[in-house]
Amino acid sequence: MHSPDLLVIGAGPAGLSAAVEAASAGLDTVVVDEGVTAGGQLVKQTHKFFGNEGFFASVRGFEIARSLLEELVDFENVEIFQESSVIGVYEDGIPVLHLPSDTTRLFRPKRVVVATGASEKFLQFENNDLPGVYGAGAVQTLMNQFGIMPGKNVLMIGSGNIGLIVSYQLVQAGVNVKAIVEIADRIGGYEVHADKVKRLGIPVLLKHTVTRALGVESVEGAEICEVDEKFSPIPSTARELVVDTVCIAVGLNPSVELIAQAGGQIRYVAELGGYVPVRDEDMRATAEGFFVAGDVSGIEEATTAMIEGRIAGLSVVRDLKGSTDENKVSRLKKELVGFRNGPISARVREGLQKLGFDVSSGESRTGNLNNPQKYRGKLRPIIECFEAIPCNPCETSCPTGAIVVGGNINDVPVIDYDKCNGCGICMTKCPGLAIFMLQELPDEDSALIGIPYEFIPLPSKGDQVHLLGRQGEMLAEGTVQRVFRSPHKTNSVYVKTPLELADKVRSIRPVLQEDNAFVCRCEELTVSDIEAAIDEGYTDFEELRRKLRISMGPCGGRTCRLNALRILSRKTGKSIEELSFGVLRPPSIPSTLGSIARQKGAEDD
Amino acid sequence: MSRLVDHPIIEFRRGKEITFEFEGREISAFEGETIAAALHAEGIKFLRASPGRQRAQGFFCAIGKCSSCLMEVDGVPNVRTCITLVKDGMIVRRQKGKGEFGA
Amino acid sequence: MTEKASVVVIGGGIVGTAIAYYLTIKGQRDVVVLEKNYLSSGSTGRCAGGIRQQWSEPSNVRLAMRSVRHFESFKKELGADIEYVQGGYLLLAFDEEEETLFRNNVEMQKKEGLEVSILSVDEVKKRFPYIVVDDVKSASFCPTDGHANPHLANFAYARAAKKNGAWIYTHTRALGIDVENGQITGVETDRGYIKTGVVVNAAGGFSRQVGLLAGVDIPTESYRHQIMVTEPLEHILDPMIISFSRNFYMRQTVSGNIMMGQGDEDEKPSFNHDPSWRFLTQMSKKMPGLFPFLEKVRVLRHWAGLYNMSPDAQPIIDKAEDVSDYYCAVGFSGHGFMLAPAVGEGLADWIIDGSPKEVDLSNLGLDRFTGEVKREKNVV
Ligand SMILES: Cc1cc2nc3c(=O)[nH]c(=O)nc-3n(C[C@H](O)[C@H](O)[C@H](O)COP(=O)(O)OP(=O)(O)OC[C@H]3O[C@@H](n4cnc5c(N)ncnc54)[C@H](O)[C@@H]3O)c2cc1C
Ligand SMILES: Cc1cc2nc3c(=O)[nH]c(=O)nc-3n(C[C@H](O)[C@H](O)[C@H](O)COP(=O)(O)OP(=O)(O)OC[C@H]3O[C@@H](n4cnc5c(N)ncnc54)[C@H](O)[C@@H]3O)c2cc1C
Ligand code: SF4
Ligand code: SF4
Repeated sequence: MHSPDLLVIGAGPAGLSAAVEAASAGLDTVVVDEGVTAGGQLVKQTHKFFGNEGFFASVRGFEIARSLLEELVDFENVEIFQESSVIGVYEDGIPVLHLPSDTTRLFRPKRVVVATGASEKFLQFENNDLPGVYGAGAVQTLMNQFGIMPGKNVLMIGSGNIGLIVSYQLVQAGVNVKAIVEIADRIGGYEVHADKVKRLGIPVLLKHTVTRALGVESVEGAEICEVDEKFSPIPSTARELVVDTVCIAVGLNPSVELIAQAGGQIRYVAELGGYVPVRDEDMRATAEGFFVAGDVSGIEEATTAMIEGRIAGLSVVRDLKGSTDENKVSRLKKELVGFRNGPISARVREGLQKLGFDVSSGESRTGNLNNPQKYRGKLRPIIECFEAIPCNPCETSCPTGAIVVGGNINDVPVIDYDKCNGCGICMTKCPGLAIFMLQELPDEDSALIGIPYEFIPLPSKGDQVHLLGRQGEMLAEGTVQRVFRSPHKTNSVYVKTPLELADKVRSIRPVLQEDNAFVCRCEELTVSDIEAAIDEGYTDFEELRRKLRISMGPCGGRTCRLNALRILSRKTGKSIEELSFGVLRPPSIPSTLGSIARQKGAEDD
Repeated sequence: MSRLVDHPIIEFRRGKEITFEFEGREISAFEGETIAAALHAEGIKFLRASPGRQRAQGFFCAIGKCSSCLMEVDGVPNVRTCITLVKDGMIVRRQKGKGEFGA
Repeated sequence: MTEKASVVVIGGGIVGTAIAYYLTIKGQRDVVVLEKNYLSSGSTGRCAGGIRQQWSEPSNVRLAMRSVRHFESFKKELGADIEYVQGGYLLLAFDEEEETLFRNNVEMQKKEGLEVSILSVDEVKKRFPYIVVDDVKSASFCPTDGHANPHLANFAYARAAKKNGAWIYTHTRALGIDVENGQITGVETDRGYIKTGVVVNAAGGFSRQVGLLAGVDIPTESYRHQIMVTEPLEHILDPMIISFSRNFYMRQTVSGNIMMGQGDEDEKPSFNHDPSWRFLTQMSKKMPGLFPFLEKVRVLRHWAGLYNMSPDAQPIIDKAEDVSDYYCAVGFSGHGFMLAPAVGEGLADWIIDGSPKEVDLSNLGLDRFTGEVKREKNVV
């Protein structure tokens, strides 16, 4: 079956679900998957899943994979190839490498569902390439697949769901988790997952980060540090933990290279995890004949991956047979909406909106009550105080009476911009540091942002600083325009930002040097190497890539591309959305000449 | 030895016991394990010296997507040991540099 | 963006930036380079970087020898390391016809002053033991041939030109060339208008289109050519190795990757930049037969670029007949990288002083295609 009706790439929950729908409608279906067994992320998950009843909630991950697979094996019109990686999407076919036999096979399917999931993000800190520094996925593979303890004492970086779950799994495997460090001031994952690890006595160190791995041939310890409100490590708080493993769980990037090679449009949507394919509600990508589903279309959950997979499968059926079970399609679409309705999916909703979807939400939050277009260009405060708290210094400090909290001190402040003269006193008075100043500049594409600043050293006019967002995420690099000292130590620092970042930049951090913090493992490039090249004038990502060979190594740019773009973005002040992603060239997996020469293919059919 | 025997949830079914050679040392492993996993079980984490800066590196992603675990296996360099299964009698060496092909 | 310039060069590849560089060092500083994408985004950034003097046409030999002298002094002159290596070029002959061709070429090349010789099979075997010589008859070898990193060379020319005063505008496309009474008056770009009297067409694969902007008909067509690169290995290959009858070339980069490519006779003129599986398959079936170590080496990347071809596979470097001060340096097929330094020098002289002086561009005119065309034979 080298020219099947449907080729599904990836046998995670999304791909398997797509295959089930296509197969039940009688389509000849081939599933290829890199893993030893089908199931994708599910095979490594030993915990019970949350989500929708209809989609295996409360069943353990690896068991979900098993049931999906059982559904599929009954079909005669389905073939599943494991340990088989798609090499690339070419104009003349889709070759697949079978690793154990070192041979290739060429497919020419009528339709393709790309369900390649996601790959892990990488983090820069000193000695991050030392053996014993692992991605969370690697730890799970060792532990849950091979039953091998990754180490004796682990430091976990990141308290999102993955960090929390893997910590719990480590304890289940008898490994000691010394601590979970989290740079933000709150736990990223669900409370319930957090409670589980807290009950085990694992400390979750908020406002902490890892600054260094220690050791010669492998990890012998790690240095962690508290961070200040601006997420910069506070050197005086540095301390060493004796650990032999550092596990990085700082999020996932959708694996879009194949859909990009197919000519599908991709777009940067931070809320969905990075670059995601542009697609419609039927999961149809912009490349002819290609569909996407699951984490590759935006980092979410197994439940949404399965629903999307089914929608993709049914859409392929519609394409090839002229009709499909439309009732089922609309039911699935409704379930998706329902699932994404809650407060936890707010980010996903925001991301989907950027892709042009009209997504309804369960709750609505009133932002600035008074921020109309008419005040564009005027220097004015932005008040980000939404919680009802007993507080009113903004009201009492304003010399013109522009801010009103009102009779009940618990009410949120309301501002009248007509009365405001832009003095900025409120910003320095607000104990919650919840007031910022904003002015769109006459050049039309930048803005001035005032930020309350309570740290030393106080930057000076002309200094380069990192511009950070509300989660401390790096957005760009900018220059300090004005600095005002205030007698009560809340100083004001004004920075220039690109206009589109004006409603995102809420913090700054001085530019720091990082020396052995690797961005690219293949070419052994550090943060400073990349910054140096940018300083030399290589500010076009493609030029930078060619100059340094970044993302040209065996990893194909998986670990480094986005990190390099981030550095470029912060150095140039351009948002990642504006920078070109560069080309994603095949092969996606390095394949020997021998394997390509030993080939079965569509020609043999 | 850091292989798990009892686990509250998972039952590990291991393959046949085999042996292979690492830097002249005999190592036992089970069929179905990757080379990197088998070495890890013996506490060996330093898999290659990076070609440029001569830094010790071990595996990182465990799914064949980075270049940290490249080793010389039966004379062939640049083998991704995190996704290559061990075989009885294999000769595995820590890779130094970019890999030489006995031309 | 500047409103006027003495010379506007269209194309930010190696040829365009080399011309700009030589113009600036010869004193013409108000030069503009327009590049619709980023520097080295065209054929230059996709090429193999081979620098060879062993050609079948004497004019090509001369031009290449002159370029090699420039490459030899590149680092000193421009202060940039472009990974230039003189490891030689080994041309393998697989049949009598090729042997005769190489013997005649070597004779002619020696007359031009090139250090080049014929190697017997035994010599090939001894010096390059990794080649299976079963079918090899003999080889032609020139030790001063070599290769360099095209991106770095392209960037180096652009930087040096910029330092000398040129304006390099990337992500800026030439949309139109205004001509009044046979005289150029300006160039329209998507970022503004530049008044100028002189235009150089160095648009690589798009030379025909950029010719038509001024109404100059340039007989070139573009063809996709593919190339692949393996994972980095410790150094094995000194020379670049090439065969016309077996249709391949191969070299090892300074970073250790083996780079190789071939031509494809079935390719139709197009601007297609997508790599094909067919190419990878053909290469994988062919190359390990001659170089067995390749069998277990992994392919890391694979891409395509354009060969801009004139009817005789030789470049067109000339001044247009009907539009004054419209120059073109195009149609470089598979050897524009290596010729760029000499072409840049010659064209700069031509623009400033009215003749290419010491650089012989006499056989490369636009009007040579009327009679019988004599093709360059040493091409892949
Ligand atoms: C630690 C952890 C805990 C989680 N807990 C929960 C939870 O409690 N509840 C929940 O709903 N979700 C949870 N998730 C999320 C859930 O696992 C994912 O959202 C879901 O697996 C995504 O499914 P997918 O099919 O899109 O991708 P994946 O499951 O990632 O599958 C993708 C598959 O594609 C294959 N592939 C990739 N590239 C290629 C190629 N070139 N050729 C061939 N095959 C390829 C991969 O090998 C993989 O098998 C968790 C995730 C993690 C990491
Ligand atoms: C696979 C391959 C291998 C090769 N190997 C070798 C080799 O080993 N040795 C060798 O010497 N040569 C080799 N070549 C040939 C060599 O790459 C070219 O001859 C050379 O790069 C041509 O340089 P250029 O500057 O003329 O063209 P290009 O590098 O293509 O530059 C032209 C530029 O003009 C720009 N442009 C086009 N239209 C416009 C417009 N309207 N406005 C603004 N900008 C425009 C394009 O974007 C492009 O960047 C190879 C080519 C290929 C494809
Ligand atoms: S900036 Fe000044 S005028 Fe405006 S609200 Fe604040 S204190 Fe009042
Ligand atoms: S002073 Fe700050 S925290 Fe208090 S109400 Fe005003 S904005 Fe909110």
